[in-house]
Amino acid sequence: MVESVREKEIIENITKNFKVDVGIQRERRIWVKSPSEDLIDLCMFVKNKLGFKHLSALSVTDWPKKGEYELTYHIWSYDDKILITIKTMVDRENPEIETVSKIWGESSQIHEREMHELFGVKFKGNPDLSPLFLEDWDGPAPFRKDFDWREYVRNEYYSKDNDRESAYFGRD
Amino acid sequence: MSEESPQKKVMKRLIKAIWVFNWFNSCGFCELVPLVGSRWDMERFGIIVVGNPRHADVLFIAGYQTLKSIKRAQRIYEQTSEPKVVIALGSCTMTGGMYWDSYNTIKRLEDYLPVTMYIPGCPPRPEAVFEAVGKIFKHVEEMK
Repeated sequence: MVESVREKEIIENITKNFKVDVGIQRERRIWVKSPSEDLIDLCMFVKNKLGFKHLSALSVTDWPKKGEYELTYHIWSYDDKILITIKTMVDRENPEIETVSKIWGESSQIHEREMHELFGVKFKGNPDLSPLFLEDWDGPAPFRKDFDWREYVRNEYYSKDNDRESAYFGRD
Repeated sequence: MSEESPQKKVMKRLIKAIWVFNWFNSCGFCELVPLVGSRWDMERFGIIVVGNPRHADVLFIAGYQTLKSIKRAQRIYEQTSEPKVVIALGSCTMTGGMYWDSYNTIKRLEDYLPVTMYIPGCPPRPEAVFEAVGKIFKHVEEMK
């Protein structure tokens, strides 16, 4: 595996300043596992000191058995052409984390807004977490793995007495 | 010859051409697009697409409607001037179609809008759309 010098430099820089798990997945792909309280400092560091200027995506993975959400930040550096992936875990029942919208601005704001809508993660300090698509939604966060959407839809939209709609009941 | 009612006189003038406004979600536009092309050419039959619901006689609704888009559809319906006809196009619009178990899709359009006609199909045959529009002409003809 070819590992360029720059990737090793970045990893050294991060491990010098933070207590984190790091690894080079392959050429131009680095991942970092960080505890959630260090996340903001780490993000500030990679943006200001290492030149990772672009937050490409923010995603949430649900781990119901562990009782945790895994937040994944994909950050791109235009100078080095390297993608760094920062992963952090938050509690599933009360998911709260500091916003990164102060660091990456608008682009992260809209990602956080979406993740708030789909998983119910509260990003503290994000100025606007209003729903993007689910207006007037009062059900649980729809992308949680324990959300039985079919059951929800049956109760919410269909009636057993209706000739056509009764076909939707009793099948899974 | 029997006397025409004032309502019919007005309707006859209005109905020379049917002006439609399209509210299409997702693949909804593909369902009407064969009609636009030269093979079926809707303009020959007086169906003209307008850019503003205030000019429209007929509102075509196609594609699945979500919790968010149905509100916009209702506002468009309110802006359409009387007399107005609402035509639901395609199976997703009518029943949710393949999104029957989606938490975010409208399952019964008639709960939200007064629908005049349904055109089933995925997509509906262009002839079916013509038949629906023909029924509007016929309704005016048969008015007293």
